[in-house]
Amino acid sequence: MQPLGEERVVIAVVSGKGGTGKTSFSASLALSRPGVAAVDADVEEPNLSLLLGDPVMATMNVGLPVPVVDAAKCTRCGTCSRTCRFGAVLSFGKAPPVFSELCHGCGACVMACPEKALCEVDRPIGFIGRGVSNGIVLVEGRLMVGMPNPVPVIERAVGLGLAEGLDTVIDSPPGAACPMVAALREAGAAILVTEPTPFGRADAEVVAQVLHDMGKPAALVVNRSGILEEDPPFDGVAGTFPVLARLRFSRAVAEGCARGIPPTELDSSWETAAKAAWDWASEAAR
Amino acid sequence: MRPKEIVVVSGKGGTGKTTLASVLARELAGQCVLCDADVDVPDLWILTSPRVKVEEDFVGGDKATLNRPPCDDCGRCVPACRFGALSAGNGKVVLDRSRCEGCGACTLVCPRGAFSLAPAVQGRIYGSETEYGSFWHARLHPGGENSGRLVQVLRERARKTAEEQGKPWILADGPPGIACPAISALTGCSVALAVTEPSKSGLHDLKRLGELAARFRVPMAVVLNRCDLSEEGAQEIREACREKGWPLLAEIPFLRGVVEDLARARIPADIDSRTAGRILRGAESLLSR
Repeated sequence: MQPLGEERVVIAVVSGKGGTGKTSFSASLALSRPGVAAVDADVEEPNLSLLLGDPVMATMNVGLPVPVVDAAKCTRCGTCSRTCRFGAVLSFGKAPPVFSELCHGCGACVMACPEKALCEVDRPIGFIGRGVSNGIVLVEGRLMVGMPNPVPVIERAVGLGLAEGLDTVIDSPPGAACPMVAALREAGAAILVTEPTPFGRADAEVVAQVLHDMGKPAALVVNRSGILEEDPPFDGVAGTFPVLARLRFSRAVAEGCARGIPPTELDSSWETAAKAAWDWASEAAR
Repeated sequence: MRPKEIVVVSGKGGTGKTTLASVLARELAGQCVLCDADVDVPDLWILTSPRVKVEEDFVGGDKATLNRPPCDDCGRCVPACRFGALSAGNGKVVLDRSRCEGCGACTLVCPRGAFSLAPAVQGRIYGSETEYGSFWHARLHPGGENSGRLVQVLRERARKTAEEQGKPWILADGPPGIACPAISALTGCSVALAVTEPSKSGLHDLKRLGELAARFRVPMAVVLNRCDLSEEGAQEIREACREKGWPLLAEIPFLRGVVEDLARARIPADIDSRTAGRILRGAESLLSR
């Protein structure tokens, strides 16, 4: 537990390219600092629990408020349909049909209805799980299959993770679009886990620009270092970030992760890198 | 004839989507149109050296603008925004456009008409030529939104080009995950080719992807990459494929040569034409079922 009044450290682990080792490094961060919270914000494909001992989870729903129409009050004036910018409320027939898959839950139709004929109900789009394993509080967001928008689930998972009041690791989704931004927003610092390949470097640069625009302190962890004789340098914005560690490709680590064994149990360089990342983030967030 | 569209997807990132797409592009050289549907971090260009012929802005959804005057910082808009794009501090209303979803709730509550909504440029679209075929790709602005819509636009362009050129195949390199860009990439395609790896996370994510494909009635086949990383994991993937009825079209071992070719931005020579041909025939046979 963090003493009152002391700043806690919140690290987001990001990558751009998938499969560079975000989840492996997030697990290493959590396991190298007992008493932290770990948030799995990769809600489309949450995998952090596989490396953190798969604790028993208490779950709750995440819902998106969608409109329902009271046909008795509706005068079919069509205001709701004209107001909705996502095509989720159409006006024909007895009462406006609602296409909840298209609804963003903005509530504009409810505000606009002159008859107060609309109210909202929560439509489940995902779940939050919470469990404790090895002294780590794991908070996992999980998008329901078929739901297009992961952002509300990510925001809820991060919010509940931070409510634990502990130092926190956020395992972010890949890419560099709105889900990644949602996972990153509350973090004090970001660790960009990448690899020295053309794919890794190109994608790291896209993420680096987001981090720069958001004003987040950021550092690199280069995974699978040594694929070529010498790692090519990172240029652009990513090239200005400090390199905290270079982790060499290890077949044992890759096999371990495949079976759910965290890398810190197999290769001490991961624990060293994780500790360096905590030290750096504690300084950087100040 | 309507072109057959293969979309390479994975659920989990980093399993080898772009690698497989490039190998299939080499196999289909001259008979296909390419499409990079991974729009926030596109990588297929790295292996295909595109020469850009046309480019244009991608205009996504609307975004609000707060005009002052007439805004008098009354703050009524702040609780109306469900996306946290509006906040009030020191008596000033602040709009964070990166959080705006363009719903217009602010325009409904503002007594002074201070908000306007207009479509915002969210990325750039490119039409290129490669030695394998025409290539549609894009770049979403960093942190951008509406990636699903951009994927849809690219697929429409690719279909049009394939029809004009009389190419029988469209080959799309898809995004990871299962949310809007993945849904946009899968909807209405001929076959989803899922690249996975023999790990617990690979299996977990493959199952979620399979559920998504079934929901959108897209036939799915599987390629198991780095199959020798874990025998136990590979066995679990094989069992899942059998149980779910996903044809397992190829198992590709971890090859040092593939890693080295990719590090030098070359389409891997070690995943050979025989393997690529087998995958394509397997995908094709799924279409006629």
